[in-house]
Amino acid sequence: MIRVVALALLLAGACARPQYLGAAMPAPCTEKDMDGCLGWMVERDLTVAELGGYDDDALRTYVQRVVDRLARASSLARAPRVLLADRDGTYATVGARIVVARPTLEKLGSEAELAGILAHEMAHLEGRHTVASLFGPHPDDDWLLVRRDAEAIADERAVYLLARAGYAPMAMARALARVLTVEDEEHPAKEERISRARALARGGTGFEGQDELLAQITGMVVGRDPRAGVRIGDAWVLASLGVAFDLHEDDLVRAADDLLVIRRGPVTLTGYVLGAPWATELVKSLVDRDVRESELGRLTTGTIRLRASTDDSPLGKLQRAIRATLPQPAPGARVAILERPDGAVVFEIGGRRSSRLGLRLATEDEIEASQPARIEIVRATKRGPIAALDSCRVLLDDPDRIVAIGAPIKCADRRPLERPTEASDRAAAETPRDE
Amino acid sequence: MRRSLLVVALAALAACHAGGPAPRPVAVACAPDRIGAVVVTGAARTELAPLAVLEGTLDDPERTERIAHVALEGLRAEGHAKATLVVTRHVGCGVELHADVVRGPKYRITRIAFETADEFPAAKRLAVLEDGLGTVNTVGGTYIAYRLQRALKELKRRYADAGWVGVTIAAPRVEIHDDTIALTIPVTSGPRFTIGTIRAIGAGKEARATVLDALGLREGAYFDRAEVRAGIERAQRVLDRKIQLRVQVAPDRTEIDVDAIVEAP
Repeated sequence: MIRVVALALLLAGACARPQYLGAAMPAPCTEKDMDGCLGWMVERDLTVAELGGYDDDALRTYVQRVVDRLARASSLARAPRVLLADRDGTYATVGARIVVARPTLEKLGSEAELAGILAHEMAHLEGRHTVASLFGPHPDDDWLLVRRDAEAIADERAVYLLARAGYAPMAMARALARVLTVEDEEHPAKEERISRARALARGGTGFEGQDELLAQITGMVVGRDPRAGVRIGDAWVLASLGVAFDLHEDDLVRAADDLLVIRRGPVTLTGYVLGAPWATELVKSLVDRDVRESELGRLTTGTIRLRASTDDSPLGKLQRAIRATLPQPAPGARVAILERPDGAVVFEIGGRRSSRLGLRLATEDEIEASQPARIEIVRATKRGPIAALDSCRVLLDDPDRIVAIGAPIKCADRRPLERPTEASDRAAAETPRDE
Repeated sequence: MRRSLLVVALAALAACHAGGPAPRPVAVACAPDRIGAVVVTGAARTELAPLAVLEGTLDDPERTERIAHVALEGLRAEGHAKATLVVTRHVGCGVELHADVVRGPKYRITRIAFETADEFPAAKRLAVLEDGLGTVNTVGGTYIAYRLQRALKELKRRYADAGWVGVTIAAPRVEIHDDTIALTIPVTSGPRFTIGTIRAIGAGKEARATVLDALGLREGAYFDRAEVRAGIERAQRVLDRKIQLRVQVAPDRTEIDVDAIVEAP
């Protein structure tokens, strides 16, 4: 009997696949397919480690259909997989994934413009620009020049793909004008990109699809989603986890959105939300662990290990590199981690003293107050500039745009929260709790 | 005339596009300032992806030259270490690029040897070099010189962490035969440093004794940075105080002194 059990265990061990964030790694990871393995890991990081995905199946399916259509006009053997993200930044990644940011979708005005943004990312995949950057630059290359070339090529190729797929190629220039906000050294200048796309598209016609896009993004969250963390009165409320953190009268609150940073006497507390599988891995790796069960869930306190994994197997090295990019406390940090069914909240505790956390279930009123703004489309009742029509509670559209009767106008059903920017982070002064 | 026909065709396709079946790919008009086609001979188009994706983009000869270099590096990273690529420009549908590739043999590494008699674990040495999920710079994999250089810097760090503070790793010798590559890496490891003095600094006498006990280190033992860090972690837990680690190579001795600095509560 023991022999049978031992044999069964041996066989089970032989079949066991290595794990990553609570899931068995797929075939590409065990068959030396770096591109495929990393693509899977990137998807898992976004959705279950960072909780950065935007969960809307119908919208994802729609965006995927546009990608499928473009893929038939491209040189790709199969269409890339679309992921929707709840944070800024649309990009193509290894393993044929395109991560489409909800804030990008908010800004676009038609399906052709969406196709333009997607075609740009697909051009990066066609040109294997993502694979080239996998291990960092070749030392002989002028890396910035190579990056800028890749971006310019992706813009130009996108115009070509739009035309081949039957979309209005001029939509690429409009899409760039809508989504480009900041300049960086890895991209050509915004005006140069737009004028080049416009010149390439001149004379071309095709499908625009304004109503098609607007129908799909109606009801979509707009602005920052407060369910990921927002300060309401005397509490920091995490509606996505159903918990709230009470602020004390003397707390100095430095930021209270996705990241809570407060000074409480000699103690500094930094709080943020993580996905459950990633939090579970962090909990397991803590030293000096103290676990307490409560009505809120399992609360574990402990210290993050100073030593990183020394697994030098190919998969071990890859996992170490990818894990290093995930949000996590620094080695040696003292932490408290509350695990909930839909994720976990982590508090990094700075200073040598302890502080009672004051976590509790969020009230119904707090949950209600944490609901995000959503897009609604209204129709113009007369002709004229949108600003003069007074048709929305909160206008998302260009107020100077002149519309005809019946034309759709992009509005929000309540004032959307602004996404914190680096500049606003820098500007955020320490403020007492009650200011 | 051809252009207007195309516009009509595009418009017709666009009209029946909404909600209907996906349109078939449409031919895009030729223009003298654009690359109308990239013709690849001697390799698959996917092997020259960075160049092939120029189809439909603006003609920029300098940029094309840079991209050709990137594409060639890609081929070499696949093991075609002696591949050549010649790109010529022709008039056709706008500008046509003809990319002629001679791949040459696909080289595989058959041997990686370290010239050293030191006690650094042999399997660890090879593991540090291995790249690309076990497809690059490993026996059976392809050889990419600049990634090997990067890995050798990491190997040097690992040696130093294990006590071989003065290690030098010379440039690898690369022997190429037909389609095989053998690498020999000379390592001059020098003396392996041991732990010199171990001191606890700061806090009271009793606390310092607790730290020294919790560190679990022994003077004269081989220095091992991972073990020292683990000791510091242990001491922090026992004392419940933050402890900084300071290591210093002792002058004129093959020893490393370890200081555990206990921070004020």
